[in-house]
Amino acid sequence: MADSLKQHGAWHTYTKLVEARNAYPEDLALRGYVEIVRNTVVRELLGNPKGLQAVPRLSAEFLTNFDRFNLSAQEGYLISLIDGRLDLQKLLILSPFDPFNTLFHLAKLQQERAIAIPQ
Amino acid sequence: MSKPYSIAQRVKTPIAIVNERGGVEWYNDAFDAVFGWDSTDWLKEAARAVAGERGWLQGFFLAADEQRTIDVDIEGRTYRVDKIMPIDEYAEPAVALIFEDVTRQREMEQAKSDFTAQIVHDLRGPLSGIQGTLEFVLSQEGAKLDAVYADLLTEAQRESERMMGLINEILDFSKIQSGSFSVESEPVRVAGLLKRAVRSLQSVAARDEVFLLSAHGRDVPQIIGSVEKLTQAVINLISNSLKFTPKQGLISVGAQIVRNGELPESIVITVTDSGVGIKSNELLQIWEKYKQSGSKSLRGGGGTGLGLYIVKQIVEAHGGEISVASIEGVGTSMVLKLPVRRAA
Repeated sequence: MADSLKQHGAWHTYTKLVEARNAYPEDLALRGYVEIVRNTVVRELLGNPKGLQAVPRLSAEFLTNFDRFNLSAQEGYLISLIDGRLDLQKLLILSPFDPFNTLFHLAKLQQERAIAIPQ
Repeated sequence: MSKPYSIAQRVKTPIAIVNERGGVEWYNDAFDAVFGWDSTDWLKEAARAVAGERGWLQGFFLAADEQRTIDVDIEGRTYRVDKIMPIDEYAEPAVALIFEDVTRQREMEQAKSDFTAQIVHDLRGPLSGIQGTLEFVLSQEGAKLDAVYADLLTEAQRESERMMGLINEILDFSKIQSGSFSVESEPVRVAGLLKRAVRSLQSVAARDEVFLLSAHGRDVPQIIGSVEKLTQAVINLISNSLKFTPKQGLISVGAQIVRNGELPESIVITVTDSGVGIKSNELLQIWEKYKQSGSKSLRGGGGTGLGLYIVKQIVEAHGGEISVASIEGVGTSMVLKLPVRRAA
């Protein structure tokens, strides 16, 4: 697992682990590994030098070509809140989702280049 | 009489071969002396009962090869009944059982437990007073404490919290050991429970400069169990994570629903940290009592090595399972699975 994280990064490892978890839903340790990787992703987002004061903004690519992005309902809702003024702290307050999953969805949007979070 | 039977005949502990109906196929002299051949109605009663305390005899026949031990109250005394082996030489399925009188042992355990509970109670009172005083002094914004004194008082507060944790662990452990550790059957709102557990340690996490976040929605179904004990289990896990998560690290507390078709079957609670991780050769041992991780706590001070053992006991008392995943240098996730019981 550590090798996969080093070689392929958190998102690739996460995708593979979710596939495995769906195939073996009874495997509790597998669920634990998924959570460790999700934790790593959110931890990296929080590691932004501006912390929760960082202000996400929509990417040029999203604004010009948003059909390309296959967003989930949660991601779609969160992206509708992003106006280039609200920082992560305020987005956490406004989000109807729990803090961890709000940050995870934002990290995923950043990974897919739908939003950018300047450092 | 065959040789094994003649050996068993001379053993000073009661041994009997009992069939599924509670009939005694064979018994040794000690069994006769303790219970009497004609006074084994309790065996037949245990065989007739299908549930509850009296249904203990059926347990020995459910899995023929499984080793099983049950403590049973018989005629005012407590016996530890051990299945030696299944016997197939009679007309009906039978098992050889050995009856060890543990009445005195149980009384000693109860006395020890009562003594521990009393000591713990006596220690908790003054310690609560110390904690309250420290909290009051540190919360006085106008007091303008010298930075050195403020640091010392914060350290004293941290250590008093640790001591309270140790005392509570010893109390829980003594309850488990004495067998008085029972689980209530009340509806438990898991989302509320996790929220309370996170809130109770939020100030400790902030002080240690660790992010502590909830990772669950509000639509987590209720389960049946003990709110107090399950909250304690989650608090134990978060406290454990706090020991091994460095500054600017992250601890998340989540809940997922496992469904069987449309209906929720179980709830999986996860407490995940970005801490130092656990070595793979230690993963299987962390639930054992007195077992401390080889990794050093980042916040100083050791523990009793009972915290995770108590969590396991709580989860198993709820009919649940527990597991752990860890990647060294990346983090650890403790995973609890609790069944969602529906009314019949």
